[in-house]
Amino acid sequence: MIQFVFSRLFQSMAVIVIMSYAIYGLMGLMPGDPIDLMITSDPNMTTEGAARLRTLYGLDRPITERYLHWLEGAVTGDFGYSRLFSRPVFEVIWPALGNTAILLGSSFVIALGIALPLGILAAIKPYSKLDYSINLFVFAGISVPPFWLALLLITLFSVIFGILPAGGTADAAGASGLWERAKYLVLPIASLTLASIGGHARYMRASMIETLRHEFIRTARAKGLSQTQVITRHALRNALIPVTTVIALDFGYLFSGALVTETIFAYPGMGKLIFDAIMGNDYNLALVSLLFATLLTLLGNFMADVAYTWLDPRLGFAKGDA
Amino acid sequence: MQFAKRLACAALTFVVSNMSPAFAAREKLVIGITQFPSTFHPNIDAMAAKSYIHAMVARPFTTYDKDWNLVCMLCTELPTIENGLAKPELTADGKQGIAVTYTIQAKATWGDGVAVTTKDAVFTWKVGRHQKSGVGNIELYRSIYKIDTLSDKSFTLHFDKLTFDYNGINDFNLLPAHLEEKKFSEPGAYKNRTAYDTDALNKGLFFGPYLMTEMATGSHVVLEPNPTWYGRPPKFKQIVVRAIGNTAALEANLLSGGIDMIAGELGLTIDQAISFEKRHKQKYDILYKPGLVYEHIDLNLENPFLQDLRVRKALVHAIDRQTISERLFGGRQPVAHTSVNPLDWVFADDVPKYGYDPKQAATLLDAAGWRMGDTGFRINGQGQKLGFELMTTAGNRTRELVQQILQSQWKAVGIDVRIKNEPARVFFGQTMTERRYTGMGMYAWMSSPENIPRTTLHSNHIPTKSNNFSGQNYTSYKNPAMDELLERIETELDKSKRLVLWRQLQHIYARDLPVIPLYFRANAFILPKWLSGVEPTGHQYSTTLWVENWEIRP
Amino acid sequence: MTTRKDHPTSLVWHRFSQHRLAIASGFLLIWMGLLAGGAPLWKSLLVLDGQTVDLFMRFQPASSLHPLGTDELGRDFLARLLDGGRVSLLVGITAALFASLIGTVVGLISGYFGGRLDALMMRFTDGIISLPLLPLLIVLAAIDLSKLGVPVALINAENASLFRISIIVALAGWTTVARLVRAETLALRERDYVRASRAQGATSWRIMRVHILPNLAASIIVATTLSTGNIILLESVLSFLGLGIQPPIASWGNLLTNAQELIWEAPQLAFYPGALIFLTVIAFNFLGDGLRDALDPKTIHSQG
Repeated sequence: MIQFVFSRLFQSMAVIVIMSYAIYGLMGLMPGDPIDLMITSDPNMTTEGAARLRTLYGLDRPITERYLHWLEGAVTGDFGYSRLFSRPVFEVIWPALGNTAILLGSSFVIALGIALPLGILAAIKPYSKLDYSINLFVFAGISVPPFWLALLLITLFSVIFGILPAGGTADAAGASGLWERAKYLVLPIASLTLASIGGHARYMRASMIETLRHEFIRTARAKGLSQTQVITRHALRNALIPVTTVIALDFGYLFSGALVTETIFAYPGMGKLIFDAIMGNDYNLALVSLLFATLLTLLGNFMADVAYTWLDPRLGFAKGDA
Repeated sequence: MQFAKRLACAALTFVVSNMSPAFAAREKLVIGITQFPSTFHPNIDAMAAKSYIHAMVARPFTTYDKDWNLVCMLCTELPTIENGLAKPELTADGKQGIAVTYTIQAKATWGDGVAVTTKDAVFTWKVGRHQKSGVGNIELYRSIYKIDTLSDKSFTLHFDKLTFDYNGINDFNLLPAHLEEKKFSEPGAYKNRTAYDTDALNKGLFFGPYLMTEMATGSHVVLEPNPTWYGRPPKFKQIVVRAIGNTAALEANLLSGGIDMIAGELGLTIDQAISFEKRHKQKYDILYKPGLVYEHIDLNLENPFLQDLRVRKALVHAIDRQTISERLFGGRQPVAHTSVNPLDWVFADDVPKYGYDPKQAATLLDAAGWRMGDTGFRINGQGQKLGFELMTTAGNRTRELVQQILQSQWKAVGIDVRIKNEPARVFFGQTMTERRYTGMGMYAWMSSPENIPRTTLHSNHIPTKSNNFSGQNYTSYKNPAMDELLERIETELDKSKRLVLWRQLQHIYARDLPVIPLYFRANAFILPKWLSGVEPTGHQYSTTLWVENWEIRP
Repeated sequence: MTTRKDHPTSLVWHRFSQHRLAIASGFLLIWMGLLAGGAPLWKSLLVLDGQTVDLFMRFQPASSLHPLGTDELGRDFLARLLDGGRVSLLVGITAALFASLIGTVVGLISGYFGGRLDALMMRFTDGIISLPLLPLLIVLAAIDLSKLGVPVALINAENASLFRISIIVALAGWTTVARLVRAETLALRERDYVRASRAQGATSWRIMRVHILPNLAASIIVATTLSTGNIILLESVLSFLGLGIQPPIASWGNLLTNAQELIWEAPQLAFYPGALIFLTVIAFNFLGDGLRDALDPKTIHSQG
């Protein structure tokens, strides 16, 4: 077990280091640089001025040299400055990470809370009317363009009914009190949740159907246990094992969802930060926040693997079926 | 879709009836803008969002007011040669220069109680001219070769050049020496160490009507009145500036009461504002101010087809700019005939104009040897097709719309225009600056009143590899008469003589057509009916420079 | 499919036909495909012009001349939708096929040869999976291809944004198929008939082609169908972020994105592309789901 943990940690570190270079290189392949962005908004900027600033920010050096320079700093704990916010990158990332953790955490829990029961219900009687209705609902959630869903929610609940704020955070409005603060999270969480129920519910359904076919379930049924008892006492635990893995693998998608949602709701979290950093050619910020997102995903996968081996020692590796 | 409209109407009544709580506490104003500043340092990285906020917490020495006159803000009297505060002189190496004396407002005090003094001006100058400080507009500080301290509040700047706008130091934004001097001890690290970023809520950094009291990076800024402010007391107890990048979301926030107004400087596009006005006229005032943002299409004059003046004229005759302005922009964005805005005092109205006249365009093209081919496009004697690539900034919806209209109109006279767009930073970073575009480049110039288009029209400013791509004459326009005019206007101090030169310049410009003038962009300010005192400027200096005049309509 | 003795086609069809939503989806998609694929034909039949701008005809309601009205530049909206559908479907299908191709090759090689190669390739695949997909796509969509030495003429081609989107989506999206194919290959290569074939001296290439690949077809078809829908959705998201198909080429994604600012003025401009994306994506999902149920050998066993 310990050996497994260490080897995975080592592998993850390797992935992170390779990733950091790959992202840095890709960012370097993006056209223009931060100074070009400054030029577009400053009518007084001369070409000489731009060249001077490029030298000052070290942008005139080749990308590999810049990367090594960054890596040198990173090893000593200096991850560089964000150009977009003129602060050390972690000072920018921490608050955003906190905001995103609230957003993603709540929507993750709510989505699971809805998706798992739906998946189980659908699995009890496959191809029944109930199964079809659930199917329709969960597929609708994953088939609607996410930004469109968000704008629809804003239009309905903020503009038309006027009961929920259209975006931002409670701090921006100076609101206090738990409900006042929570209000700002309702729509972003709702749009994130609706988009992720589908996947979870489908995994749950598939896994439950699979489990219900097993011999031990038949035995349990033969013993005269009711359907509810069979599912809660026998099937659920087994069915949840593969679901855990698949959901953990989906961790990376959470950031993708957060990116769109946070951008529309002007919610200052990691997703919006990553997007702004990439679009603003903020190399350091984009790099570190992307690595952070990757790290969290790896961590999620790792925990899922640990949980998986622990729950089910017979199996060495996750099934490919996703 | 009838349903949606009815739903929207029902919604409106609902929102209106629901708005009452907002009226209760009208001591706060929430402004929505589309961008968050990258830094709060006034002289590093010019950005509209920063100028907008900074104008509420500090003031420049001079600026242009809403009537486009140069006025004093932090200084007490605008120095001129006539009032003796500005004196032409020669520099040590015999160049024509000028000495200009400014006096700081007597009661100007930093938010922490330290007086604003000459020391700050000298310090700002030191920072500004240092190669490593990261200041963008270094040219301003470089041209000031010496500062004389006359008293705590008065100083004289010695410029190594004499131009007609010698007394405008609009970008000379004062830095607090008592806080920043230490940070500047190592100039190379200054841009990361400055208190404006490490300690942005420090009261001592600002001296305007408001102070920053809260800031959430990327999200919002909270401003509250500054007790040490020397001018008219501001009316709002709190101003919140929120950054919402998506304009559809920005509008939704306005309608749902999340924000009270949308800034014109960084707000809705003009067609969005016009559509908004149709629906919400009763609740909001929508002010349009056409300004000094000159939308045009640069023509690459090294393109052999475009070298022919007849082709350039035909290009302009073939497009219906008037109808575009009326139908797309509700007539709010006037058609441009040269780079000079009609609101500018040097504007000449009698320049040659090229109205919508497809027949004339066809005649001109025929005369230039471009006859209509079988494919619906014109070809010349060598069988080459008359075609150009039209580029602009990707993601700018208004430009993309105009672009598609122009493409369609040019097609009607047999000119094949292909659209190719790039992200703004590539477009400006390489394509235009290194003149990699082959035909047409559509974008805008921002300028201040009576801004001399020297860098865009002078033949010395054609960016080439040998001059390391400096200059902004992307069309590679060369005309000795124009060069001479540009130089003379700059140093002509006599207003009436300057006017004559400006008129000549506009005539040559309209005759030579190095670019296709399109229109002057307008900013749309969306303000609640209860707010008064917001006066759009129409130039790059924000309305917030007069934020203390904003008040609740009685 | 005939190679599988325990997998009679009729049974598959029977299973599939039970999934009514999948059947309906299949028909819907064929119909959409015909509409979008034949866009030039329909446009000429109906005399619709999606190109010519008419500023006096902006936001016209539906009429006999313009069955769905006109857009913000007075172009026929139905024609725009047809053109947009062609692009969206094309991007979705090409990218999905391309992704499956990469995934199949990687998974097959990895699963069949096993050992170090397998470990290395799977580590790589896991690495890609752990990347945050959308941010990565944004970076990829924004990179300057000329810095990679791609010929300028190719980059400037009118359809460049179309190919670019298809390729980058495929480059990021092959991992699911790769894992799937690997897992099944691992199981298949231990089957008796594969072993027998190997003992008879068949080359690896032949075994993969004749014995393994046909048995993978079902899973690959399902995965490809499901990812086509996702990719159409992804294209709309990239368009929303300003990095999708660039105007003047229409796609459902950029039509929808354009319309978000016009939602009050002309809600139909947002309604149609939104509804079409939604219907298409959900149809691909149902179709994939139905196919999975129908082609899954386990389901058939338990039924038969």
